[in-house]
Amino acid sequence: MNRLIKILAQALQAVVALKLRTFFCVLSIAIGISAITIIVAATEGAYQKAFDIVASFGPDSILIVSGSEESRGIARREKTLTLADAEAIRSAFATAYMVVPMSRVRDTIISYKANRYSAPIIGSTSDYSLSWTWPVVEGSDFTQEDLKRLANVALLGHETMRELFGDENPVGKTIQVGRIPVQVVGVLLERGSSQGGGNMDNRVVMPITTVMKKFQNEPKYVQALRVRFEDQENLDIRVEELKGFLRVRHRLPDSEPNDFQIVSPKDIIKFLVALTGSLVAFVGIVGIISLVVAGFVLANLFHLSVRERTGEIGIRRSVGAKRRDILLQFLGEALIITTLGGLIGFVLGVAAAGLLQYVEAFPIHFSWKAFAIGLLLSWLVGVLFGLKPASQAADLEPIEAIRS
Amino acid sequence: MNPLCLMEDVRKTFRMGENSVEVLKGIDLTVERGEIAAIMGVSGSGKSTLMNLIGCLDVPTSGRYLFAGREVLGLADDSLSELRNANIGFVFQSFYLLPYATVLENVLLPSLYRERAKDGAEERAVELLRLIGLEERIHFRPNRLSGGEQQRVAICRALMNDPELLLADEPTGQLDSRTASEIMNLLVAMNERGKTVIIVTHDPAIAAYANRIIRIKDGVIVDEQAD
Ligand SMILES: Nc1ncnc2c1ncn2[C@@H]1O[C@H](COP(=O)(O)OP(=O)(O)OP(=O)(O)O)[C@@H](O)[C@H]1O
Ligand SMILES: [Mg+2]
Repeated sequence: MNRLIKILAQALQAVVALKLRTFFCVLSIAIGISAITIIVAATEGAYQKAFDIVASFGPDSILIVSGSEESRGIARREKTLTLADAEAIRSAFATAYMVVPMSRVRDTIISYKANRYSAPIIGSTSDYSLSWTWPVVEGSDFTQEDLKRLANVALLGHETMRELFGDENPVGKTIQVGRIPVQVVGVLLERGSSQGGGNMDNRVVMPITTVMKKFQNEPKYVQALRVRFEDQENLDIRVEELKGFLRVRHRLPDSEPNDFQIVSPKDIIKFLVALTGSLVAFVGIVGIISLVVAGFVLANLFHLSVRERTGEIGIRRSVGAKRRDILLQFLGEALIITTLGGLIGFVLGVAAAGLLQYVEAFPIHFSWKAFAIGLLLSWLVGVLFGLKPASQAADLEPIEAIRS
Repeated sequence: MNPLCLMEDVRKTFRMGENSVEVLKGIDLTVERGEIAAIMGVSGSGKSTLMNLIGCLDVPTSGRYLFAGREVLGLADDSLSELRNANIGFVFQSFYLLPYATVLENVLLPSLYRERAKDGAEERAVELLRLIGLEERIHFRPNRLSGGEQQRVAICRALMNDPELLLADEPTGQLDSRTASEIMNLLVAMNERGKTVIIVTHDPAIAAYANRIIRIKDGVIVDEQAD
């Protein structure tokens, strides 16, 4: 142990003394490691963002959207889901503790006194806050009674509230939604726009019955159904059952595709990870190539160094260094250098990621994982590419090494 | 007590690709403890080869070599290292000081590879350097020293682990005659303090410091004389 420390101290001294070799090796390792750091951080960022979204979406919930998969790109989907579907699901699925129909009206002018604002209207049942795990911070959610009466009441997104009311308390006040006067009953917690992509705080939520009748003139169809299950672990099975159930209800022949689409938390994660995937792949290839290049730079500079230092190796051997001691010294030099490169690479990676986020908001998350993977990879490069020159040094015969 | 070095019919053959050259062709040699001997011969006669064998830097191709009663032929590489570390100090023509280490660190080198680390290594190194008159240079790098000073540092390094045998291969080859005699006086002083010293040289003036001259020609000892 003592001997190992002494040998590593010798290695450190050589690393400090042979500055040019150290500089070029550290530089090339640092470039590769910084790229790797960014990949790990971006992957982690993507996963974290995906899980954040799923958490706010509800990990036990799925969304059934009207219209077949083929009609996805088309702006106006055909409507196929009904309020009756919602009722049927509620009674057929014992573990579906919440089935919420939803409709959406594109941006509508909303005004309060002189303030005007444009926001989408979301039609929902009285369970909106609960079904989206989205707390009402002021006032209260609208009630079953409001739904039955087709009441003109609304929950405001945080931004809508701020734009219209500023510091004024909005609860109980009457706003104009389109041409209809509507009473504000509550305000939703601020969600922040970065999460989940797109602005979530600008919405106005009203009873779905009111929205269908007074804004859409729609007697039957809704845009989506949100279903939450008690048995979250069986979500995949429930999704399959729901597909069958709705196909039967909609009387679809086997040749027809589904006239609805089911989005589960898994799909959201898949989508987001795929989004980050291309960047990860690109930086990953760059990172691995530059690490391999760095490895060859290291191997070659060490090879030259061993040739230059045969005298040193010879004198060390003649005063009693064993082959193992020489091997450890040169490997130690390689590892000290690559560790340094790894640390600098991590710092560079953090800086580059900051720049990247400045240019375009990109989910990046630094943790000990990015740091540890970077460091492990730099050690791997050190051992992999330092081993050959180091064993070459160790295998030098003492008499060869001192014959000048 | 057995002699420090005992060689019987030692041969050394170097293989270079297809052909091999026999450099030492049957050496019989005894070196007693406390001797100071010179090995002489023309260039290429095998002086350095013989010295490397005596110093266990290399092993004979055949024959018998007992160092302090211990058979060297057949020892593992690690055992040879341990043997050199504990018992043998080398001084070479080109001093082989580490350029990036200080004088003190250079002298300490053999202590790094000791089997059992001993306390007071640094004190001993400083003491050796003081003895040799270099205590003011201990934190210098070798490139700031003259050739004679560098060789004195190398001698301190050779003495670091207090070896029984001091081997010097043309130790004055790169030095002017005044510095050379300083170095030789130093080696003689070490011999007087009990070290066995063997010096390889082709300079009769240097060989004159020894009390025994071993002449080697074409790989055999041709004539031994003691004064
Ligand atoms: N490792 C080796 N491989 C091949 N040949 C060698 C090796 N070492 C020495 N020789 C050869 O052995 C012969 C003796 O070499 P050695 O170095 O012992 O001579 P020397 O007497 O020390 O000469 P010099 O006075 O020039 O130092 C030379 O011909 C040399 O080329
Ligand atoms: Mg020679």
